[in-house]
Amino acid sequence: MNYTLEELAHGLNTTTTEEGTNFDAVITEIGVIEVSCSNNEEFPIHLAMTETQLLSVTPLFNISEVLEGKVDQLNNLLLQLSPAVPLSSIGLQDGNYILFGAMALNTIFENIVHELEVQAENTVDVLEAIEPLLN
Amino acid sequence: MSILRDMFSAFKGAGNEVGEAIIDANAVRILEQEIREADEAIHKSKQSLTKLKGTEIRLKREINSLEVDIQDYEAKAVQALNENKEEIAVKVADRIAEIESDRDEKAAEHAKLAADVESLNKMIKNRNKIIQKNKRELEKVRTIKELQKTTSTISSNFAASSSNAHRVSKALDRVKTKQAKWKDDMEAGDWMASQENVDDLDKELEAAGIGNNPGKSNSVLERLKARQNA
Repeated sequence: MNYTLEELAHGLNTTTTEEGTNFDAVITEIGVIEVSCSNNEEFPIHLAMTETQLLSVTPLFNISEVLEGKVDQLNNLLLQLSPAVPLSSIGLQDGNYILFGAMALNTIFENIVHELEVQAENTVDVLEAIEPLLN
Repeated sequence: MSILRDMFSAFKGAGNEVGEAIIDANAVRILEQEIREADEAIHKSKQSLTKLKGTEIRLKREINSLEVDIQDYEAKAVQALNENKEEIAVKVADRIAEIESDRDEKAAEHAKLAADVESLNKMIKNRNKIIQKNKRELEKVRTIKELQKTTSTISSNFAASSSNAHRVSKALDRVKTKQAKWKDDMEAGDWMASQENVDDLDKELEAAGIGNNPGKSNSVLERLKARQNA
C-alpha cells in the first residue's frame, strides 16, 4: 500500500515500537514530514516522497562545523563508516552532511517504523565516531 | 544524457570546494518532453499495429482459402484427366493458374505486412526502453530535489557561529543523558517488579508454614547471654 504523507504522519504519531520508541511527526509547509524519534530527539528525520521512493534524511552538520583542515579526513572516515551503518547511508547535500535511507513507496508501515528507529540510533553512532573532527 | 554527470559538472567558481547539484531545468524539460513524445509515438504505433494486424489476419485467411481452392481444383483436374476429358482439364488448369497468381500476390502482401508489424513492434520496444531510461533519469533529479528540500530549512541553523560552537557535542550529550535516564527508569521499574515478586514469595512461604523457626528467638537469646557472660 502506498501511504500519503498525512497517513504516514498519523501512523507514526500513534505508534510505539517494541523497544519503546515513539514518534512525533509533523508535516511542514514544504511538504516533508519532520519526525522526532524519542530515542534521539536532537536530530529529527525528514521524510520526503518521490514518484518511486520514500526518503528519510537526517541532517547531521554543516561543513563549516568541521575542524579546519579536517574535511578530507572526515570524508575518508565517513566513506569507510557508511557500509557498516545498517540501513542508512551517508551523503553530502549543499554543504550539509546527512544520514539517509530510501524505501520503496509500497514498503509496509512496520518496516518504515523500524527504518526510522534504526536511523535515529545510527545518527548517534556516526556522530560519536566523527565528533573529534568537529568544532 | 546522463543527468547526474551534467548536474555535478556545474561547479560555482574555482574557490568552491563543495560541488552543488544544480538542477538544470532545461534538462528536466527535455527529459519530460522525450517521455511525452515517446509515449505519443507508442500510442500511434499501437493504433497502426492494430490495423496492420487486422489486415494481416484477413490476408492469411484469404490465402488459406485460396490454397483450399487450388487443392480442390487440382483434384478435379486429375479426375478430368483420368476420365480423358482433356478439354475440361485444361480449363481447370487455367483456373488453378489464376488462383495461384492471386495467392502469390496476397502472399507477397502478407509477407510485407508481417515485416511492417515486426518493425513496429521493434519500434514500440525501443521507445519503451527510452521512456524507462528517461523516467529513471528524472527520478534521480526528483530525488536530488527532495533531498535539497529536506536540508534547505536547516542550512541557516547549521551555520557556524559562536553560539553554535560544539553544537553536535552538546546535542549528543543531551541524547546520552536522556538515554541514561531512560535506562535508569527501566532498571528502577525492573527492581520494583522484582521486589513485588519477593513480597509475593514471602507471603506464600509464610502461608505454607515453611521457614517458621520457633526456636530462633531462643537461640538469639542464648547468643546474647553467652556474649554477656564472656
